[in-house]
Amino acid sequence: MSDTSRTISFLRKSVSRRSALKGLAATSAVMAGPGFVRYAQAQSSAPVKIGFQAHRTGIGASYGRWYERTTAAAAKAINDAGGINGRPIEIITEDDGTDAKRGPEVVEKLATQHKVDVVYGTLFSHVVAASAPVAGELKVPYYVVSEGHHVASTKLNRYVFQPGITDVKSQIQSTAPWIAANAGKKVTQIFPDYAFGYDHRDYLPPALKAQGAEVIKQIAIPPTETSFTKYFPQIPADTDVIYHVMIGPAVLTFVKEMGEFFGSGGPQLFGFIDSLEAVDINSPGLEFLDGSHFWEGAPRYAQPNDSDAMKAYRAAVGIDDNGASVNDAKDVSTAAHMFGCWETLYVIKQAMEAAGYQGPQDRAKLVEATEALTDFAAGPEHPQGAKTFNGKIHQCFGSQNISKVEGGRLNVVHTTSIEDGLYEPEGDYTTQPL
Amino acid sequence: MRMLTRLPVLLSIVALVAAPNRALAHASDRGFVLLLPTGHYIIGGAVAVAVSFLALVALKPDALAGLAARRLPLFRLGFDPRPVTSALSFLALLVLVATGLIGSRDPLSNPLPLTIWTLFWVGLTLACGVFGNLFRLVDPWYAVMRLIGGAGRQAADARMDRMSYLPAIVQFAAFAWFELVYPAPDDPYRLAIVVSAYWFINLAAMLIVGHGRWSRTGECFSVFFRIISQLSVIDARRDGGGFRLSLCLPGARLLKAPPLPMTGVAFLLMALASVSFDGLMRTFWWLGRIGVNPLEFPGRSVVMAENTAGLFLAAATLTGAFLICVWSGEKLSGGTAGFRRAAGLLVWSIAPIALAYHFAHYLTALLVNGQYALVAISDPFARGWNLFGTADLHVSAGVVMGPDSAWVLWNLQAGAIVLGHVLAVVVAHALAARLHDDPRAAMRSQIPLTVLMVGYTVLGLWLLSTPTGA
Repeated sequence: MSDTSRTISFLRKSVSRRSALKGLAATSAVMAGPGFVRYAQAQSSAPVKIGFQAHRTGIGASYGRWYERTTAAAAKAINDAGGINGRPIEIITEDDGTDAKRGPEVVEKLATQHKVDVVYGTLFSHVVAASAPVAGELKVPYYVVSEGHHVASTKLNRYVFQPGITDVKSQIQSTAPWIAANAGKKVTQIFPDYAFGYDHRDYLPPALKAQGAEVIKQIAIPPTETSFTKYFPQIPADTDVIYHVMIGPAVLTFVKEMGEFFGSGGPQLFGFIDSLEAVDINSPGLEFLDGSHFWEGAPRYAQPNDSDAMKAYRAAVGIDDNGASVNDAKDVSTAAHMFGCWETLYVIKQAMEAAGYQGPQDRAKLVEATEALTDFAAGPEHPQGAKTFNGKIHQCFGSQNISKVEGGRLNVVHTTSIEDGLYEPEGDYTTQPL
Repeated sequence: MRMLTRLPVLLSIVALVAAPNRALAHASDRGFVLLLPTGHYIIGGAVAVAVSFLALVALKPDALAGLAARRLPLFRLGFDPRPVTSALSFLALLVLVATGLIGSRDPLSNPLPLTIWTLFWVGLTLACGVFGNLFRLVDPWYAVMRLIGGAGRQAADARMDRMSYLPAIVQFAAFAWFELVYPAPDDPYRLAIVVSAYWFINLAAMLIVGHGRWSRTGECFSVFFRIISQLSVIDARRDGGGFRLSLCLPGARLLKAPPLPMTGVAFLLMALASVSFDGLMRTFWWLGRIGVNPLEFPGRSVVMAENTAGLFLAAATLTGAFLICVWSGEKLSGGTAGFRRAAGLLVWSIAPIALAYHFAHYLTALLVNGQYALVAISDPFARGWNLFGTADLHVSAGVVMGPDSAWVLWNLQAGAIVLGHVLAVVVAHALAARLHDDPRAAMRSQIPLTVLMVGYTVLGLWLLSTPTGA
């Protein structure tokens, strides 16, 4: 019990952070707080309303929990520093149930009932794809944190942006030079047999080829599969690297069975941390991953060369050196992705300030101001690192991390350059009417 | 109100000591269970249930009745607290509906969905199963009906007698559909509308036939909690203006329960089937049947037709299987008890299974969303209040995460499932003795039902260990 009371009293300090997410009422809490003096000097002290399309329930909920925490931390940091254009920001959360039909309803509700200035924060691709048309129709800027290639493909519309996290096509492409130079030239891919796996199936081979390496075998695993041993004999004997991106509850079984199949030998392993996001790397069954490599957006574990900005970001969000909640060592964060929420909110701030944004009547100006952004410097607003932004395809591009599992940690061994992940734009949103 | 506020405190203690839920259906939690030797547990559980049946054969017929009759007196409550607790509960409901309408839009910050789905549907069910019919205390109609003079009315009503449990069945089916199939049962505003409508519809019915009569077979939660509370270890008997409380063995009170009519049989089986289907509809197996990629679940709104059909199919299948087992048991034993009476009495043996599966299925939800509920009730209108000092409590989702928690939770779940089914076999055995004078006939009558219970043990453990995707 004493532990409990200590936790509670410690956490009492974070009251304003919690209030930032509590909806309409947060405004009064903010206005009554010590920061109010600063806001009072602005032309209008009415808050900037940011609608948060959150996966609070449904299959996205475990990601959603950390997206919510990161959003709350960023909103607090922004408000503590004077808000946007001198106005506090208010986060209005609506749950979409990670449901493609509820997604557009939520965007519409945020825009028409809550009268938010922008909608933000969506993670799951099927919800983004379903919601984007409504954002376009209602002409409400829609800033997603999804990592899907859908925004950059220019198949959505002019109101949809992904300025806080690199898309998956770029992520995959940027790992190819390191794989070819360090892990091996002959790659076998193992991926789930649906859209998530197809991104890796389609984007990796050309990227590797450009580096003088090749994919020699692609093994697609049915999504409902729960035992994998029968697939391993398909791995060619001359494979240097197994590139694996399995996800779902059977991932642990996949790794365990791969370990049983290969014993102490076998090819190098390269994976995407999406497979084990929010899962302790030291879990039983994962021993076989020791010495293998993973892509990470932002590193889960604190690194010796972390910038002050990264340290400050980790402290603000509340994750410890192992990437777990400071209040709960078993609650491993979605560190590789959630930084995108923090950075996206700062992009919204930057764009609104550039546009002189006053209210919904300025939404078109905000779209143009966002499209005019080109670079985000590394720093407190972009702790994951510097990024470039392509206003024509509404997508940012940043460095990616390749981390090695050693000593029960993920240690960053290589950081890709932004150029590694650049590709030819597939279209141009700016030609669409506003 | 006291009940409503005390319950979360108890839950938080449980949460802090031990260790997903609908809202936290993270793939990795089930991933750790997949690494456990769950197949051995399933075989072991099935054997344990089967062996307990065989062991009962060796037991003297009246031994169970003797055990069940034992009471350890606790104390006498000199007054009936219901007028006060029901009034407080009604006021709490008013506040909760208001929070749903004007409070936070976040279902994990708004106290209404957390109270309804976690504290009420999960927490109160478990509390009733252990401590007795607490719902009678927090029934939000009683005080209102008392105020307008309809609480005590027990008029004979031929229409109600004809309908029997049908109104409760219809209402429970609607509730289960709303919980399991409707796309947004957690949405605070929509839930507030549904809860209000439910309250008013049932108030109207109580105004027509009386509170007591409608509670008995019309209002589905009064019926559900009354059935579940028959398992409790506390026996409360009216004594003058108050109650005399004593301890008894779990399930002991079931042995004296009157036979349920066929509609009551259907109600109890539907209650179990709905929670089982909640487990089933998330499995890779079910998602494969309805053509949904479990790794890319598109959301509830896409599978409403399939899950509506599945929910009712589950209830129909369980009811059919139960009735076939009772019928064939009757045939095996010579058919002296009468099919309807046998079914109405033996269905009580399903109650321990329903409670056990309720615990196992919702355990992770209770542990995590119970904490969210604690936070939410301290600041019900999202105005920065801290009424109970829990507003800034860190919600520790880690209690259900990782291999250690998976092991503890799986063992608690598997233990509950097996114990629930063993108790079911024991209760069925004792009830059969009421139906058959000849112990051998009673034993024979139980063979098909025991097979069903062994099968349901396997199903329950499989549902908790098979991969899930929704």
